[in-house]
Formats: sequence, structure tokens, C-alpha cells
Amino acid sequence: MSLHDQDDPALRAAQEQRLREVWAPPKGLFLRWTDTNNNQVGNWYVLTAFAFMLFAGVLALIMRTQLAVPDNDLVGPGTFNQLFTLHGSVMMFLFAVPMFEAVSIILLPQLLGARDLPFPRLSAFGYWSFLLGGVFVSGSIFFDAAPDGGWFMYPPLTTRTDLSGLGADIWMLGLSFIEVSSVAAAVELIVGVLKCRPPGMRLNLMPLYAWYILVVAVMILFAFPPLIAGDVLFEMERLLDWPFFDASRGGDPLLWQHLFWIFGHPEVYIVFLPSIALFAMLVPTFARRHLLGYPWIVLAAVGTAFLSFGLWVHHMFATGLPKISLGFFSAASEAVAIPTAVQIFVFIVTLWAGRVVWSTPLLYATGSLAIFVIGGLTGVMVALAPFDWQAHDTYFVVAHLHYVLIGGTLMPLFAGLYYYWPLVTGKKLSDRLGRTAFWLIFVGANLCFFPMHLSGLEGMPRRVFTYPADLGLGGLNLASTIGSFVIAAGVAVIVLDLARSPWRPRSPRNPWQAGTLEWLAHPEDENWGIRSIPLIESRYPIWDQEDFVRKVDEGRYFLPDAEEGRRETIITSVLDARPVSVIRLGAPSWKPMLTALALGGVFILTTYHLYWPALLSGAATLAMVLWWLWTGTAEIPEKPCKPIGHGMELPLYISGSASPGWWAMFITMMADATAFSGLVFGYFFFWTRHEAFPPPEMASAPGMVWPLSALALGLAGWLATIAAREVHARGGVGMARILLLFGLATSIAGVPAGLSGPWFSGMDPTAHSYPAIVWTLAIWTCLHAAVAAIMLAYVLARSLAGRMTPSHDADIRNVAVYMHFFALTAVVAYATIGLFPEVA
Amino acid sequence: MSDKRRKWHERLQVTLWTLIVPPTVWAVHFLFAYLWAAVSCAKTGFFAEFPTLFTAGTVLALATISLSGWIAHRQTRLRGDPPPHERGTDIDRLRFLAKSTLLLAGLSFVGVLFTALPVVFIGDCR
Amino acid sequence: MRRSVAGKFLPLWPLMLAGCNRHQSALAPFGLEARSTLSLTVVLAAGGLVIALGVAVIYAIAARAPEGRLTHERGMRLVLWLGAVFPTVVLTALLIWSLPAMRPLPATGQDLHIRVEGEQFWWRVAYREAGRDPVLSANEIRLPVGRTVVFELTATDVVHSFWIPGLAGKMDMIPGRTNRLVVKAEKPGRYRGVCAEFCGLSHALMAFDVIAMEPAAFDEWLAVARIPPRPTDSAIYHRGEMLFAREGCGSCHAARGTPSGEIGPDLTRYGERLTLGAGILAPTPGNTAAFIRDPHRFKPGARMPAYRHLRQDEALALAVWLKQSGAQEAKR
Repeated sequence: MSLHDQDDPALRAAQEQRLREVWAPPKGLFLRWTDTNNNQVGNWYVLTAFAFMLFAGVLALIMRTQLAVPDNDLVGPGTFNQLFTLHGSVMMFLFAVPMFEAVSIILLPQLLGARDLPFPRLSAFGYWSFLLGGVFVSGSIFFDAAPDGGWFMYPPLTTRTDLSGLGADIWMLGLSFIEVSSVAAAVELIVGVLKCRPPGMRLNLMPLYAWYILVVAVMILFAFPPLIAGDVLFEMERLLDWPFFDASRGGDPLLWQHLFWIFGHPEVYIVFLPSIALFAMLVPTFARRHLLGYPWIVLAAVGTAFLSFGLWVHHMFATGLPKISLGFFSAASEAVAIPTAVQIFVFIVTLWAGRVVWSTPLLYATGSLAIFVIGGLTGVMVALAPFDWQAHDTYFVVAHLHYVLIGGTLMPLFAGLYYYWPLVTGKKLSDRLGRTAFWLIFVGANLCFFPMHLSGLEGMPRRVFTYPADLGLGGLNLASTIGSFVIAAGVAVIVLDLARSPWRPRSPRNPWQAGTLEWLAHPEDENWGIRSIPLIESRYPIWDQEDFVRKVDEGRYFLPDAEEGRRETIITSVLDARPVSVIRLGAPSWKPMLTALALGGVFILTTYHLYWPALLSGAATLAMVLWWLWTGTAEIPEKPCKPIGHGMELPLYISGSASPGWWAMFITMMADATAFSGLVFGYFFFWTRHEAFPPPEMASAPGMVWPLSALALGLAGWLATIAAREVHARGGVGMARILLLFGLATSIAGVPAGLSGPWFSGMDPTAHSYPAIVWTLAIWTCLHAAVAAIMLAYVLARSLAGRMTPSHDADIRNVAVYMHFFALTAVVAYATIGLFPEVA
Repeated sequence: MSDKRRKWHERLQVTLWTLIVPPTVWAVHFLFAYLWAAVSCAKTGFFAEFPTLFTAGTVLALATISLSGWIAHRQTRLRGDPPPHERGTDIDRLRFLAKSTLLLAGLSFVGVLFTALPVVFIGDCR
Repeated sequence: MRRSVAGKFLPLWPLMLAGCNRHQSALAPFGLEARSTLSLTVVLAAGGLVIALGVAVIYAIAARAPEGRLTHERGMRLVLWLGAVFPTVVLTALLIWSLPAMRPLPATGQDLHIRVEGEQFWWRVAYREAGRDPVLSANEIRLPVGRTVVFELTATDVVHSFWIPGLAGKMDMIPGRTNRLVVKAEKPGRYRGVCAEFCGLSHALMAFDVIAMEPAAFDEWLAVARIPPRPTDSAIYHRGEMLFAREGCGSCHAARGTPSGEIGPDLTRYGERLTLGAGILAPTPGNTAAFIRDPHRFKPGARMPAYRHLRQDEALALAVWLKQSGAQEAKR
């Protein structure tokens, strides 16, 4: 195929027809939900997250009505506690985080000129998990069973089963389920940004949105797992009475606070940065010029990501930790203001240098900056411990966090909504309604939240269902309540605008005359994403590259066809985006949805203490995952290479670190290792809390022999896997199978060996935090040994079935990555429980 | 320019991994400072009068950050394509990563200094 | 556009001023810590206002400037100086100011120690002086003005937080830990503290009274409080005592001259308390009687069982008896 072939309209029409057939969404009442294409899944995701936002907003309105006047009795404390717990949890876990994932699933392939993200079925799985978990958690309020311990769920209030009910389990298990889907999304987005960029889009040409998403997805990997570790300990205490947070048995409630806020503070930036990323896309468009200071934005994003992990204790300034510890966190909390200020000034100077075109999205951006700056400045205030000791847990903090989240997350999302609506639907929203909504929200937000600064300093604590009249806070609270309804009116106007959108005229393509790739999207929505994958030479190719849009549309770039009837996209190298291979993407399938259902069953059934059905559901999940992997991954292609145009041929199969699957395994295991380090942190945290740890009467448990034997077995499995990989690559298939079998045997043997230490030394996990945390580390490691065994068995089966050969060895290479992490886990866990008592 | 004639710091090219060296140094220093203070306060109940280890660690962290910033600074000066250095060429990609590394080094430097402030101004376990 | 926003906020100002209270406010300090924090607050708020306005002005200039007015180099210099250097300088100054301010006031073992335990949803108080028996109380804290006082704070059931806004910042009360908060009251008067960490159903109803007294008056009060209560020989006394015993109140509450329980608040000096039910009701006999008959009406989730079977006159008699306890001693 040469360049001139594309001159033939008949050929182009035939190509388009083939692409259209390949990418056609499944039709039919039920089948349509099996779709995995980012356009459909992304839209469902956005709509669902938006619905959860409206739901949580209504909860807030009920709370504000209750607080409108002192000593009100519209709702009682029981209901009120459920309201604020759900409002916070839903806004954070079911709106802000999923919304960023949803928007990214829609936008990222467009921005990167990819046909879809590398793991479309994983996105679909994430969506179904989110929907199921979200409905489960939010629905509980209609049965008066919603969580009522606050979104931070501090034990012992929430772990003592005599003080809290089913709601705590619903929160913990329902949201753990959603955390799984967030980690899945992080994997998808990181691999998408690093490996699915169009040829030529080097790191310095990447749209800033992609930079932000890369950074945020990496943050998720390190932020969510500590919470998952905390969830594990929390449910062990609630369901099995293991006393991690019970001070009377050697536990400490502060351990939860640490684990929660190690997640909780980065979380704020996880929901803030993607919204600012929308600014980075729309500011250049309306300034009609390139963004000034591209490296400064990268500095800000990366710097914020790092610093955000050094802030968590500022939520714990009043817990009585040594002042010097507080000082470190106070200092880091101040430092994080610097990259934030940099971002704001980058946007300002870009507008300054350019020609500002006023529009509804820019109006929202301006308003949200104004609100965000106030929230940022009060953030600088509360980062100073002496001030925070007054402001902490009062309405001042409520004001601060809502200024930050409305200015830094919600309103930028509305800016993005008005900006990107034409991209998704082909229609613009109404400027008139948009402006009306903006002013209602802007004025309402200030009216609602500004007075809270004062009511907080005047002694109004957070999370109170009422307040006495003689506090004199009736006026301030009434103002806040009126403001909240003004915001609600603004949101209602937006909903109205969205509802009227189907009857509005089609807008032209690229209505804002933007310069970035995503605006190649055609109003006559084609599901294939992009007609041909372009060669990128500029940050704003539509502005800068000659005849760019026409060339893309006429299929003059790469991969303009789908000859084999498969969904495909190009994989490129990380730094310089050199084409590496073509991968086949998953087609519509029931598997993601069914897997999500099965996994959801594990969490939901456990909530109701139905352990046997939960176990069954777990087995079903495992079976589904294996079926999915067996039928849908590392498929040996019918031919080794395929042409992508311009005389380039790319392989259809890659393995090792060039392949997306390897990266996905690596990234998933980073998250896994982080969760594990949360548990190890727990062990050493208890050590600092006790004069003698292990307690003298348990000092000999679990001994050295069993942990070190289990470690030896684990390392043997690891070495066998590496040897198998190397021998296999050199053609020694038989020897590799024997080595795999050996690794399988040692991994299985490692499970009883690992559990024997605590078992034979008679450690009672309900007696004290020491045996409890030792058991937890042992069980965690043994579970990983069991998974290692399953993986090795899978690889062996693949080899026997002829689905893995020396030239097509992605399976064993990916499992080797798992085994590296498993070996690391085993070393740390067994050294800790076996050797540390000797030196402590 | 042949490889031989290049100085060592020019051969050591910035990548996505070297980009995160300065903030990683900040993170390690921060974690070390926090854990050290937390463990010594919890286990011994007091904090060193003159924290030699902490001072040495801080100097080492600042030196590492400065070094990585200096290398990056040299690479932002590489001659090649014309300004504003926003093109898809090797040299512009390198200059971009170098510039970002330099900026991150600046932020991390300030971050490490900030972490040292509490030791100077509080310095005990109360 | 900008003016119309300001216009929309104008009607709010009187409303904000109307919100002032003097007894539970960080803006009306009566202690050393709260006073120095207030000056920090004022400086931060004023500085924040100036910076916010500055950013708004710069934004307005930027949005109106014609294309190309700002060159690339000058733009980057603005980002460097305003976005990076200026905040760094300001934040360094703030840290150097605030870090030393984090150090607690110096205190010695000779200072008055007050141990306060948070429980759902009330406060157990013990005044401890070196070498003497503690004086027990609940839901009310008396402080000598001008002297350093050390609070030892802990909790028995869940996490609570001890906050007297006019006196000092808050400090959490965490099961298994004892936190110290060193304070110095400066102005005598009646104030109020609250629980600031969400602690369950009646979190909003967990408050206490704070009475800052002249040192001499405080010493006298504490001396009187040390004297074991003496029975008073009167009909009402005997009826109250009989009811207290008959209903088994003593298994949870200590009251004067009765076998003392330790589960609920100490009622020995209930008569001098300024409020009932941890800062939520006036301690009139009527309220007290109503509380005894149905505590959950006033305090959802409270541990105390309802005594609905008590006749109104019995509950009232109990209330009157409680009201008298402590009051007489205080008057002496």
C-alpha cells in the first residue's frame, strides 16, 4: 500500500465500511450492555457518576434544611449521621474519582489518537463494579441502614459492633469493591498514556491532560492501597474480632487514622488535578495560543503528586502526636501551595499573552479559579498547626474543603461539560442557560460556604445535627442554607440544559477551533475513534500541522483499515512514541459484566455474613477471570506482522516490557505491594506503641523455623519461574514445563508452611494486636503463594495447550513479574514475623 | 558532537526516571525524618540535642537534588533546534525533560529545607 | 460584572456581625493560647484577602490585555516570581512564625492537672493536685485565672475531642492514649466547650460548661469540694435518698453520701452545675425530672435507661434532692 492509494475514494469507502463493521456497537436490548468501546462505556460512566452527584447533592440539601435554624427537628441524629456520611462518601468515591476516570475513558483515546484504550474490557469491568458497588452503598439509606460513622469511619466507634451496625460493613465492603475498580482504571490509564500514543507524540508533545492523568493514575496506585490495607484490618476486627484498633487489647485507633489519611489526602489531589487538567486543555483554546510554560505544568503536577503524600498527618494535628512530627507535615502542607500557585499563574500568563475569546467554558474556569484561590488560601491557614487546632473539625474546615472542591473539582468539571459536550454529542449546550447556571452556582457557593468560615471559628463543630440558639449562629446558618439552594437551582438549570440538548441543532466540527487532537472527533459520531492514526509533530497539531484534519480523515496516516476484521490500535515506545506493534483489542463481551457481578457477590455477601455463598462467589470470580484470560489475552496472531501504511510493518505479538500486558501486571503489583506495605506499617506501628513488642508472653511466637521454611519455598518458586522463563525463551519447552511444575509444587507447599508458624505456636488473633497482625501478614503472603500456584498452573496449561510457545511467551513473562513481587512480599513478611522478634 | 567529546554529565541523559529523582529524594528525606522523629519519640521519649544524623541526611539530600538539578540545567542549555523548543525533535524532548527536572529540583530543594525547619524550631518531643 | 458580585454580598455583612457569641468562640478568647491564635488568624485572613484580591486584579488585567502584549520570556518570569518565588518566601515566613508557636506552654508537676475522659456523650472530670486525692466531677470544668493548668485527656469508648474555643485549640481524646493540653485562662467568666470529633448519635449534644475563676475563689471552691458531703436532716433529703437507693441510681452514679457507682456522671455537686445533660439543658427541677424519666428524648443514644415508671412527683423529688446537693456547700 502506498500513500497514493488513499487517493481512491472507492478504497477509502471500503476501508470505512470495514472499520465501521468492526467497531459497530452490539445491538439489541440486552446485548448493547456488553459493549466495551470507550465511547459507550465512558458515556455510561459519566452519566452514572453525574447521577450519584445529584443524589449526594440532595442529601446535602436535606442536611442544610435541618441546619437552617437552631434546634430544628426535621431529621433526627440517626438520619443526619447517615446523610453526612453518605454525602461525603458518595461525592468522593462515587462522583469525584469515577468522574475523572469516566471523562478520561472518553477523552484519552481521542487525545492520543488511539482507537481505544489498551484494555477496553477492563474499563467495562471497572464500570460494572462501580455501578454495582455504588448502588449497594447509596441504596442503603432507603433501608435506614446507611453507614453513619462519617466518611472517615474512625474506629472504635465504627469497629465496635455494639456501637455501629451493618452500615459500617456496607461502607467498608462496598467501597473496597469500588477501590478495586479505581485501581483497574489506574492501570488502564497509565498504560494508555505511556504506550498508546500516536507515532511522533513524544513526551514533550503530550497533551497536558494526558500528563495530569498519568500523574493522577500513579497517585491512585500509591494512595488507594493503604486504604485497602486499612479496610482489611477493619473488617477483620468487625467480623472476626481481631483487635487492631482496640486499645484494651494492644490495638490503637490511630493506626486507622494513619492508613485512612495516607489515602485521604492524596485523594484530594486525585480529584483536583484532573479537573485542572481540563483547564490546561481549554485555556489555550480560548487564549488562541500555545500554553506558556508547559514544563512548569509538568513540574506542578509531578511536584503536587509527591508532596501530597507528605500531608496526611495534617488531618491528625489534634491527635496529640509529638509537635515535631506535626511540624514536618505542616511544612509539607505549606510547600504544596507552591506548585498550585505555579499552575494558576501559568494559566493567567497564557491568557495574558493570548487573545482571550470569552465563552461559557472560560466563564466557568474563571469563576472556579476565583473560588479555588480562596480555598487554597484557607488551606494555607489550616496547614499551620496552631490555627488548625482551632479550625479543625469545625465549619471552617467545611468551608475550606468546599471552596477547594467546588473551585477545584466541580466547577472545572462544569467548564469541561460545556467545553466537551459538542465533542461527545455533536451539539453545543445553551450559552444563555450555561451563564445563568454559572451565576447561580457561583453566588450560591459563596453564600453557602463563606459564612461557614465564621460559624466554624465561632464554635460550631462539624457533623452536628443541630446547634443551640444561644450560640447566635442562626443567621450564618440560614445564609448557608439559602446558598445551598441557590447552588441546587444552578445545577437544576444545567440538568435542564442537558435535557434540552437532543433538540438543539448540530454544531460544526471543532466548534471552539481548538488545536488538540481530540477535536478530530466528528459530529456524525463514528465508533472507530479516529480514521487514521496520525504522525504528531506539534502540541497543537490541528493548528500547526498542514492539512492535518484532511489527511487524518482520508486515512493518509497509519492503520487506516481493518482488513482482518479485528479492533486494533498502535502501541508505541514510552519516551519517543516510536511504533512498536499493533495490538488486537477486546471485542464486546459478557465477561466483564459477569466478572464484576461475581466479585460484587463476594463483597456484598460478606456484608451479610453469608460466608459460604461469598466463598462460592469468590470461586466463580476466579473461574471468570481465568476464562477471560484464557480466551482473550496473549492470543497468537494468524500472521506475525501487519502493514500499517507508509511502508511500515509492525508485529502483532509482543511480550515482555514492550507489551501493555507486562505493564499492566507491573502496575497492578505496584498497587499490591503498596497495600502490603500498609500492613507492614501496621506491624511496626504497633511496635512503636508498646514498651515490649512482641509482648513478653508471646515473644517466642511464631518462631523462626516455619517462617523461614515458607520463605525458602517461596524463593524456590520464584527462581524456578525465572529459570523456566529463560529456558523457555531458548526453546527448552520440556525443561520449562518441569521447572514450572516444580515452582507450582513449592508455591503450594508454601501455603501450609506459612500458616504453620502462627498456628503451631498457638497464636490467638483475638487476644492481642500482636498475634492479629502476625496472622494477617502470614495470611496475606500465603494468599499470594496460592495465587502464584494458580498462575504457574495457568502458564503450564497454556504451554500444554499450545497457546504459549518460545516465540509467543507473554504469559510466562507476565507471571515472572508477579513472582518478583511475590518474592519481595515473602522476604519482607517472613523476615518481619520470623526475625524481627529476635532483634526487637 | 561525538560521544567521546561530551562530558559525563551530558552523557547521563535525563529520562522519565531521572525526572523523578529530585522529588524522590525529598520523599525519602521526609519519610526518614518523620519515622526517625516518631520512633525516637515513641521509644525513647526524647529527641537528640544535636541531631547529627539528621543534619548529615539533610545535607546529603540537598546535595543530591542540587547535583541532579545541575545536570538538568546543563542539558537545558544543549544547542540544537530554535526556540521556543516545542518541537518533536530529540533535542527538544531532551530539553523539555531537563527543564522539568530542573524545576522539580528547585521545588524539592525548598521541600527539604521546609522539612528541616521543624527540627530547628521545635526540636523536642512534646 | 465584578461590582454586581460585590453588590450581591453587601446584604450579608450585618448578618455576619450578628453571629457573634462571647462564650464559645475562637474569636472571643479568654485564654493565652486562643488569644495568640487569634492574632495569627487575623494576620492570615488579612494576608489571604490581599493575595486573593491581587490575583483577581492580575487575572482581570490578563484577560483584557491585547494579544502579544506579554512576551514568552516576560510571561515565564511572571510565573517564576509570582507563582514560585513569592509563595515560597511567604510560606517560609509563615512557617518560621508558626512552628515555634506550636510548642506547648511550659508546665511542671506542681501545676493543677485536670483529667478529662470523654464518654458517649459526657465528660468525666478529675482535679488532681500533687500529693492529694483527686476531686471528681462531670460535665463542668473550673479553672483558676492566671495559672497554668494541664489537661490530661483520654477517652474510654470512642474518639472524642476536647475543645474550649475561647481558651485554646482542640485536642483529641483517644482510647488508650493520654494527650496533654496546657492552657492558661486570662479572663474570668462563664464559657462553653464542646466535643469536636464525631462520636456517635448525640455528638451534637456533648458540651460542657467552663468557669474561669479568680485564683482565690478557685482555691476556696476546690477546698470545699474536697470536704466529704454531710447528710442533711430533712424530709426532702430522706425522700430523695430513698428514691436514689430504691431505683438503683447509685450503681451508676455517685451522689453525696450514697454508695458510689462510676459508670455515669458524678452527681455529688450536681446542685452547683450550670447545665444538665452535658451542656444541653437548664438544670431546673422540671428539666431534671423530665430527663430522668426519658433521657433519650434529650439525648439519643445515652446509656442511661429511661425511668418512665417513676411518678412525676417522685422524679421531681429526686430532682430537688439532686439540686440541693453541692449547692449548700458551695454557698458556705
